[in-house]
Amino acid sequence: MKGTIKDLLKVSGVHGYALIQDKSIQIKLPSKHKFSGSKESIKMLYDNLVPVEKRPGNVVEIFLEDMVLTIFVNGTIMLVVISSTRVNLALLRMTGKLVIANMVKERR
Amino acid sequence: MNQEIIGGLDSTRCPEIIKILSLGKRSGRLLLNNGAETGNIFFRDGQIIHAQCGILQGTKAIYELTIWSSGEYRFFIDDMPDIVTVDISMDEILNEATNRIRQMDRITSLIPSSSIIYSLDPDIKEKDITLKSIQWKVLTNINGKRSIADIAQNIGLGVSDAMKVFYTLAKLELLRDADMSEGETSVMRVDLPETSFMTALRQDLTRAIGPIAPFIIMETAQDMDLDLLAEDVGQRAELIETLSSKIPDEGMSLRFLDTMTDWLNTEG
Repeated sequence: MKGTIKDLLKVSGVHGYALIQDKSIQIKLPSKHKFSGSKESIKMLYDNLVPVEKRPGNVVEIFLEDMVLTIFVNGTIMLVVISSTRVNLALLRMTGKLVIANMVKERR
Repeated sequence: MNQEIIGGLDSTRCPEIIKILSLGKRSGRLLLNNGAETGNIFFRDGQIIHAQCGILQGTKAIYELTIWSSGEYRFFIDDMPDIVTVDISMDEILNEATNRIRQMDRITSLIPSSSIIYSLDPDIKEKDITLKSIQWKVLTNINGKRSIADIAQNIGLGVSDAMKVFYTLAKLELLRDADMSEGETSVMRVDLPETSFMTALRQDLTRAIGPIAPFIIMETAQDMDLDLLAEDVGQRAELIETLSSKIPDEGMSLRFLDTMTDWLNTEG
C-alpha cells in the first residue's frame, strides 16, 4: 500500500478528511456535508490537541450521533477523517496511522 | 555508491551484509534490529572496528548479531564510534560467524526459542556428569521460572552462547520443560489455524518480532476473545491493530500494519 490519503478514501464508509499542517487547512468533503464548512471547529480541535505534549497515544476518536471523527496527530500534522458510524474503525485506524507516518516521513 | 543500504534479515543474513560492506570498503554504522533487541556494527574502510549488542561488545556482539534471522538492518554512512573493540581480520570474523550459524541451526532443532523455560530434571540418567564452569553457572540459574534469555541477561552471556549451554545440558538430559515439571503452562505449543490470513499474519509478525509471534497471536486473540477462524474483516483488523501495538520498534510496527492492511484490502 502506498499509504496515501487516497487509500483512506477507499475505506468503505469514509466521507472525507481535513488535513491541518502548521497554518494550512485542507478540507475534502462533499459540498453539502455537515463538516464541509467547519474550518473553525477543526482549527479549534487542532489548537487543543496538537500542543498537548503528554497526550497518551496519537489517535483520537470522537463519536457523534451519525458519524465518527477519527483524528490522527503526529508532530504538527493533524488528519481528521470523517466517516459513517458503520465504518470498519480498526481498518480506518490502521490506514490512518500509515498515512500520517508517511506524511511525516515525506516532510523530513 | 551512496544509495541507502536497508532491508530485512530474513532475506539477507548479517554475514552477507558484512561481506557487502567490507567489499565496498564502507565506513559507518550497521544497525540491526530483531524486534526485541538492537545491535550495531561499526565499519572503517570496510573493516569492523566496533560492535555492540545489549551488554556484549566486540567480537562477542558480532557473533550474537550474525545469527539473527529475522528483523531489519540499516546502514548509516560515516557514523563512527568513540571506541575500538574489534581488531581481527574480516576472514576470521566471517569464518567464525559461519560456524556459529551452523551451530545455531543445530541448537534450534532442539531448542527453538530463547523464551523457553526449563527446570532441572530430578531423574538424572548418567552416573557421572562433568560440567564446565559456565554450564554450572547456567544450571544454578535454572529455576523453572526464568527463560533462557532471562538467564543469559542475568549472567552477562549472549543469548546464542546461553542457548549453546542449554543445548549441552539438554543433551545430558539434565533439563526438562518447566510446564512438565510444575504443571504450569509457561511453555505452550501453539497450533494456529492453517488459514491464509493466519499464515500471512504469522509470517509478518515473525518478521517483526521473531519466533515468539505465534504465542503472541494466540494470547492476543484470547485476551480479545476473538475466534481465529472467523472471517469477519472487522475482527481481523482489530487483531492486526492490537498486534501492531505490541511491536516495540515503530518502523517495524508500521511495516507490519502496511503489509497486513494490504492483505485485508486485497484478500480479506
